[in-house]
Amino acid sequence: MEVLLLKVPSFKFSSPISCCSISTRSSSYVKFGFRRFSSLSVSASSTVNEAVTEPSLASPSLGHTTRPHFPILHQEVNGKKLVYLDNAATSQKPTIVLETLQSYYKAYNSNVHRGIHFLSAKATDEYESARRKVATFINAFDSREIVFTRNATEAINLVAYSWGLSNLKRGDEIILTVAEHHSAIVPWQLLAQKVGAVLKFVNLNQDEVPDIDKLQELLSRKTKLVVVHHVSNVLASILPIRDIASWAHDVGAKVLVDACQSVPHMPVDVQSLNVDFLVASSHKMCGPTGIGFLYGKIDLLSSMPPFLGGGEMISDVFYDHSTYAEPPSRFEAGTPAIGEAIGLGAAIDYLSGIGMQTIHDYEVYLGRYLYERLLSVPNIRIYGPAPSEKTERVALCSFNVENIQATDLATLLDQLHGVAIRSGHHCAQPLHRFLGVNASARASLYFYNTKEDVDNFIQALNDTINFFK
Amino acid sequence: MLSSTFITASHTFLFTQPLNNNNNHSPLTTITHKKLKPPIISSSSIKSQSQNHPILTAPSLPLTTSTITVKLNRLASEFNTLTEPIERVKRLLDYASLLPPFDDSDRVPQNRISGCSTQVWVVSAMDNDGKLWFRADSDSEISKGFCWCLVWALNGAYPMEILHVTEKDLGHVDILGLGLKAKSRINTWHSLLLGMQKAAKDLLIRRELEEKAFCSSMVADDDHGGGVFANGKLSGIGIHGW
Repeated sequence: MEVLLLKVPSFKFSSPISCCSISTRSSSYVKFGFRRFSSLSVSASSTVNEAVTEPSLASPSLGHTTRPHFPILHQEVNGKKLVYLDNAATSQKPTIVLETLQSYYKAYNSNVHRGIHFLSAKATDEYESARRKVATFINAFDSREIVFTRNATEAINLVAYSWGLSNLKRGDEIILTVAEHHSAIVPWQLLAQKVGAVLKFVNLNQDEVPDIDKLQELLSRKTKLVVVHHVSNVLASILPIRDIASWAHDVGAKVLVDACQSVPHMPVDVQSLNVDFLVASSHKMCGPTGIGFLYGKIDLLSSMPPFLGGGEMISDVFYDHSTYAEPPSRFEAGTPAIGEAIGLGAAIDYLSGIGMQTIHDYEVYLGRYLYERLLSVPNIRIYGPAPSEKTERVALCSFNVENIQATDLATLLDQLHGVAIRSGHHCAQPLHRFLGVNASARASLYFYNTKEDVDNFIQALNDTINFFK
Repeated sequence: MLSSTFITASHTFLFTQPLNNNNNHSPLTTITHKKLKPPIISSSSIKSQSQNHPILTAPSLPLTTSTITVKLNRLASEFNTLTEPIERVKRLLDYASLLPPFDDSDRVPQNRISGCSTQVWVVSAMDNDGKLWFRADSDSEISKGFCWCLVWALNGAYPMEILHVTEKDLGHVDILGLGLKAKSRINTWHSLLLGMQKAAKDLLIRRELEEKAFCSSMVADDDHGGGVFANGKLSGIGIHGW
C-alpha cells in the first residue's frame, strides 16, 4: 500500500536484525525506506545574510520522513504537542532500537564470552557485531580499538586512570579549553592532583571559539596530552581536530577528543583525524543509555594497564596476582551492558542507513534556520561564532534574553507551550564563568526535528518574553 | 501581575553583620535587629489588593509544626485549584513580587542554596523568643515565587518545628504541577527547604552553644556581670551556606 511517505525513494537497512516495519499513523504496516537526501544539501558557502536554501517543497524534509520512526515525539505535554529541542542532552530512539532491545531480552539474553550454549553464542556474536559496527562507523582500523564503557564520561576516566597514571608525572602539562564539558575536565583535575601534573586552559577568541593560535603557543615538550571537544555543546563550534592532532604529535603529546556532539551528527573518521583517543555516548546518537565507547589506537591500548579489575578482563587469576586479557577485554571488567551495546549497533545501522553526511547537511540547513530565527528575537544574545563561509555552526544555540532568567524561560516554554529546551550551565561552568553568565538556555536539534519545530519554538519564545514584560 | 510590595521598609528585619552589642544587654535578650518585626502580612493590609489570593487573606495562625503543615496544605490547595499552567505561573509570579528587597551584600556564595539550577540566596535570624525569620531572593522570578511561599510558611517558627518538616509534607505541594518529587537540580522547592532547615539547625546549635557558654561565664564571673558575651557577641546570626 502506498502512502505519502513511500514517495521518498527507498533504502535498505544493512543488518537483517534491523529490517523493520514502520507503523504509520493510519496503522497500516509498510516497508519504509528512503534514499540519501543529497538533493537536500545546502550550499556550505552560504553566509548568514543570504536566504537559507530550503529543500524543495515537493519532497518532505529528513525531519518529516524520520519523525514517524520516533514514537516518543508524538505526544502532548501540558496540553500542547511536544516540541523536543534538547538533543544535545540526549537523543530519542527509533522504533528499531526499541525493538532490538526487546528482542534481545525476549529471545537471546545471555552472558557473553563465557557460555558455550546457543543463547550465549548468539549474544556474544551480536555483542561483538555491535563492536564492529562502532569501529566501522568511525573508521577505526580494528574493532579491538573499541572499548565499550558506560558512557563517554567513563571512557575519559578510563584514559585518565589507565593511561594517565602510568604516563604522566609531576610538571607534565595537559592542555584543555575553557569550553570543555565537566566530564572532560574533572577526571584530569583528579589525575593532576595525584601525579602533580598541570592543567592549562585555552580561552575563547573574539569569535567566541577556542583560540587555536593560543593552543598552538601553549604546546611544548612538557605537553603530554591535549583534551578537546570536537563540537562544543554550548558554542556550537567545531574544532580543527586534524590540525590539533598534528601539532600535538609534533611535540610528542597525545590527543583525546570528546566527540559526544560530533559522532551523532556528522561523519567522523578517526584515522583521518589521527587522534589517539576518542570518546562518545550511545544515548546521544539514537542508542540506549548505559553504553558508550572509547576509541584508542591499538598500540596505545595494548600498553595501558587495566582500569577496573574483575571478571572478563583477566587471563589467569592466582591468589596473589593476575594476568590480564588483551584489549579491548582488558578494559571491560564484569558483565557488560549487552543488550544496550546491541541496541547501539542497531542505532548505528539506522543512522548509517540515512547517511551521516545527509544528516549533517540537513542539520546545517536547519541549524542555520534556527540561528537566524533566534537572531530576530529582541534583546537576545546567542553564544558562539556567527555562521559564515569559514565558520560552521552545528544545529544548536545557547542563548540568553536580557532580564529574563534562562530557567524561567525554559519553565514557561515547557509549561505553556510543550517546548523542551535546556537551561543551566550545560555541564560547562568554566565556560559560563568565562562568558560572564550564570546560566543560559539551549535549543539543540537532531535530524528528526523540522522547520515547524523551529517555528513553534520561536513563537513560543516570543510569547514567553511578552509574558514577562 | 501584581507589582506592589506589601512589606514596607519598616518591616525589613534581616541584617548582614553582627550588631555591636553593649554591656547592658544579655545576649539572650538582645534583639538581633533593632527593626525586627514579624513579616506576617496582615490580612487587612492586603485584602483590598488581592481578593483572589486565599493565602494572603487568611488569618494568622500560631506557629507550630502542624501550622507549617497547615500552611503548606493551604499552598497546595490554592495551587491545585489553578488547573491551567498559566494560572499557576501567574500566581507564583504574583507572590514573587511580594518578596521584600534583598541586600546586594547578602548575595554572596555563603548564602547561596546549593542544589538549584537558578541562584537562590537565603539569610536567617533568630529573635529573642528563639523563633526564626528568613529572607530569600533569586535571579529567577519563578524561584522568587517559591521563596516567598516557603518563607511565608516557615517564618516565625521554632527551629525544631522547621526541622520536622519532611519532604513528604512538601511533596504534595506541587506548585507548578510538575509532579516532581525526586531530588533534582531543578527542584528549587526542595532545595530551598533543605537550605532553610540547615540554617535552622545551625542557628539552633549556635544558640545552644552560646547559652552554655553564657551559663558557664555566669558561674565563673557572677560578681562582675557580662562574661564572655560582655563585649558584644550576639546570638542568632543566620548567615549560612552549604
